[in-house]
Amino acid sequence: MVALPHPEAPALEHGDRRRRARQLRLVLAGVLLVTVLLSLAVGAAGTSLWQSLAAVLRGEAIPLSDSIVLWQIRAPRTLMGMGVGAALAVSGALMQGLFRNPLADPGIVGVSAGAGLGAITAIVLGAFLPLGLLTALGFYLVPLAAFLGSWLSTILLYRVATRSGRTSVAVMLLAGIALGALTGAASGVMVYIADDNQLRDLTFWGMGSLAGATWPKVLTGMAVILPALCAAPLLARGLNALSLGEAAAYHLGIRIQRVKNLAILAVAAATGAAVAMSGGIGFVGIVVPHLLRLVSGPDHRELLPNAALLGAALLLVADIISRVVIAPAELPIGIVTAILGGPFFLWILLRQRGVLDL
Amino acid sequence: MNAPLTHAPAAAEADEHLSGRNIRLGLRGKQILDSVDFTARPGEVTAIVGPNGSGKTTLLRCLTGEIAGQCAPGSTIRMGALDVTRAEPWLLAQRRAVLAQATSLAFPFTVLEVVRLGAEGAGGAARARQALAQVDLGHYAERYYQELSGGEQQRVQLARVLAQLDAPRGHHGPRWLFLDEPVSALDIGHQLQVMEIARAFARNGGGVVAVMHDLNLTAMFAQEVVLLNQGRVLGAGAPAEVLTDRLLETAYGCRLRIGVAPRDGLFLLPQTAEQGN
Amino acid sequence: MSLTRRILLAGLAALPLSLPVSLSPALAETPASRIVSIGGGVTEIVFALGQQHRLVARDTTSTYPPEAELLPDVGYIRRLSPEGVLSVQPDLILTDEGAGPPETVELLENAGIPFREVPQGFDRAAILAKIHRVGEVLGVSAEAEALAEEVAADLDAAMAQAGAMDKRVLFIISMQGGRVMASGTGTAADGIINMVGAQNAVSEYPGYKTLTDEAITRAAPDVILMMSRNGEHTSTTEMLLANPAIATTPAGQAEAFVTMDGMYMLGFSVRTADAVRDLARALRDSGTALNQGG
Repeated sequence: MVALPHPEAPALEHGDRRRRARQLRLVLAGVLLVTVLLSLAVGAAGTSLWQSLAAVLRGEAIPLSDSIVLWQIRAPRTLMGMGVGAALAVSGALMQGLFRNPLADPGIVGVSAGAGLGAITAIVLGAFLPLGLLTALGFYLVPLAAFLGSWLSTILLYRVATRSGRTSVAVMLLAGIALGALTGAASGVMVYIADDNQLRDLTFWGMGSLAGATWPKVLTGMAVILPALCAAPLLARGLNALSLGEAAAYHLGIRIQRVKNLAILAVAAATGAAVAMSGGIGFVGIVVPHLLRLVSGPDHRELLPNAALLGAALLLVADIISRVVIAPAELPIGIVTAILGGPFFLWILLRQRGVLDL
Repeated sequence: MNAPLTHAPAAAEADEHLSGRNIRLGLRGKQILDSVDFTARPGEVTAIVGPNGSGKTTLLRCLTGEIAGQCAPGSTIRMGALDVTRAEPWLLAQRRAVLAQATSLAFPFTVLEVVRLGAEGAGGAARARQALAQVDLGHYAERYYQELSGGEQQRVQLARVLAQLDAPRGHHGPRWLFLDEPVSALDIGHQLQVMEIARAFARNGGGVVAVMHDLNLTAMFAQEVVLLNQGRVLGAGAPAEVLTDRLLETAYGCRLRIGVAPRDGLFLLPQTAEQGN
Repeated sequence: MSLTRRILLAGLAALPLSLPVSLSPALAETPASRIVSIGGGVTEIVFALGQQHRLVARDTTSTYPPEAELLPDVGYIRRLSPEGVLSVQPDLILTDEGAGPPETVELLENAGIPFREVPQGFDRAAILAKIHRVGEVLGVSAEAEALAEEVAADLDAAMAQAGAMDKRVLFIISMQGGRVMASGTGTAADGIINMVGAQNAVSEYPGYKTLTDEAITRAAPDVILMMSRNGEHTSTTEMLLANPAIATTPAGQAEAFVTMDGMYMLGFSVRTADAVRDLARALRDSGTALNQGG
């Protein structure tokens, strides 16, 4: 796997790892392109992307079933995988920068807990909605509720942690733990009143899946995720300075409160939309930024775009695995990322123990 | 942008001072700074001295702008023409840099990367290397910051601060170097080295404001000394005027004698090192 | 990238015209021959009707008869993957109520693959209705009529034979972490308990809920019924007796614990008459000796 770069390694051009990070970005872009093609090419249906491509290039019509598989199933799913993976990885990097802690993840601002509570409430209580509203919302009900839940909890945490215009990240962290407990209890109540089928839906939602990708859903989600991803690089300089602490960042000319506001906004938007679309998918937000820091350093100007690329590629790979392993059935993707991410994360922790103060 | 700048191209000398008037600051009902007047001139090293808890660091944090906004109404702090209590952080960052007592680092940056956090844009790399060489750490550029000793880390931070300011004077006038106990973690050789860097910065037209514990080094390097006690200015002026037996006894609460060698026992003064140079 | 985009654009251009008409006209005329059967009970009926040669895939719960397990498994009924289902090139999806997620259902319907739901229910009438519905969808109504008559007669006989029992039965669906989750009314378990003429020990709530220790004591079941897991009967007994509340009940004191295969007992399909007979016998015998049905 990836080795911790030795300080004296000659590849470190004048101690500046940005060149390496930029090379890495090209590699990652290539990897992402390959995974995108794979994601379009691989699947239970055995539809051949290449044959279809060739047919289109020859100007022939491709069979309807192939067109459905490629265009209605694999394409939105691939786009959703990219969006969700990039959103989770970039959100993780932003949170870690903001909290100055490599173990922070979007869960800290209550996004996951809130999204979970929203989704669970929608699954369990959705049946009590007026029928008209229910049919109007259709399968947007659960994603919408998850998104609202993530936003409400983030706003709540933010208000709690902000006093006279200054947000205390420590208070936010503690309040996040309290809110997590609270939403956990509320989810417990929902689980209690859920019926058998709803319980199963809850379980599967928690494990995450890209299987529900449809164009309207993906495009709606991307409309939220893309602006957040585009805003992330604006934060890079501020997050770099913040790694020296808030006072030093201020001395370097950073408007800290603005960085905090923007980072929390971007994370709530990106993660809220990602979790709403795909359910609970763990570890991407922690593993991807961590891996990139090991390879090419913690400079956020490089870390954030690279995290978007690697997160997208990683989630596509996990999704490809999830849909071929037990085809024609599929494994929830959250299980795949946890199986890949869990041991890897432990390995990182073991390696870094004693080297760096985490 | 509500720029609190009143540009006077050929600014009179007094307009280049760093000055605080009637600085009052209370935290949780406790008066930390009480009617503090402060002036520092470019070209000089100004030392803030005083016992623990006298408000030295708080005063420094006001002067840098960090907590200037929390000062009581009526307090004014000006850096040349710039109103520090209301200035945008990026405007201040062009004119002054701050070395804190201790700086923690969240991620595994290399030494050069840390210094470059202060030196961005074109020529940043060269400036960073130069600053590292100035603090005698050029050969550590590729090392991880976290691997260095506390004293080395402090010197890396000094290099970062120097790299942020580039030159002691810019087109706005003098630049200011704020140092909060810059030498407390250093051995005597590096203490002298760091103070020399500060003196050189001042001699080249910049201003230096340093919170100091070491009165010997203060006497050696400062042209202006501000002695604080319980949030008030006990004395301000040239070292010889402020570092007197009477004032020091009042401030520190113990009998001290200036310029008197102990009758017996070893003692060592940094002044001897300079004479040997 | 541009190639991908071209193919996507080509697909996009082609879709709005072609989708609504799609494959369905052909389907309306010829009977479906590539069927995905979703739901264990539905699959059993398809096999009982002798129509298994038309199946191309099944869901995870379709495990009986054993031949069914030879078919590809498209996953869990509420989490169907659209491409997984499409990959077996079905021309009909025959499913229990509640197939999902809705995105998949919509997509498959858009692809022109008819979705036919079989109504759920936990009594004699529901079983017969299921058989009729499956027969109707598969175009073998006559055979279904015959099967339904046969099953109805069998059920009547089994229920008559079971008669009425004054046994209170507590159905426990899980004991995770020592918490007893038991069936109230309106569930498949409640249905089968009623069919064998016994009483459900819990009638205060619908669905499955966690019972407190006191509620268990007050329910005072004579028999505790659970789904079997690969013949781990001994461990089940130990687990049940380890619970102090259960140990105080008549069932606990007599060790009247019955386990039975879940699909067999709760499938409400063609095997239910046999299940009724087995369960009735097991319930009557319980407390005198350990019994295991299925």
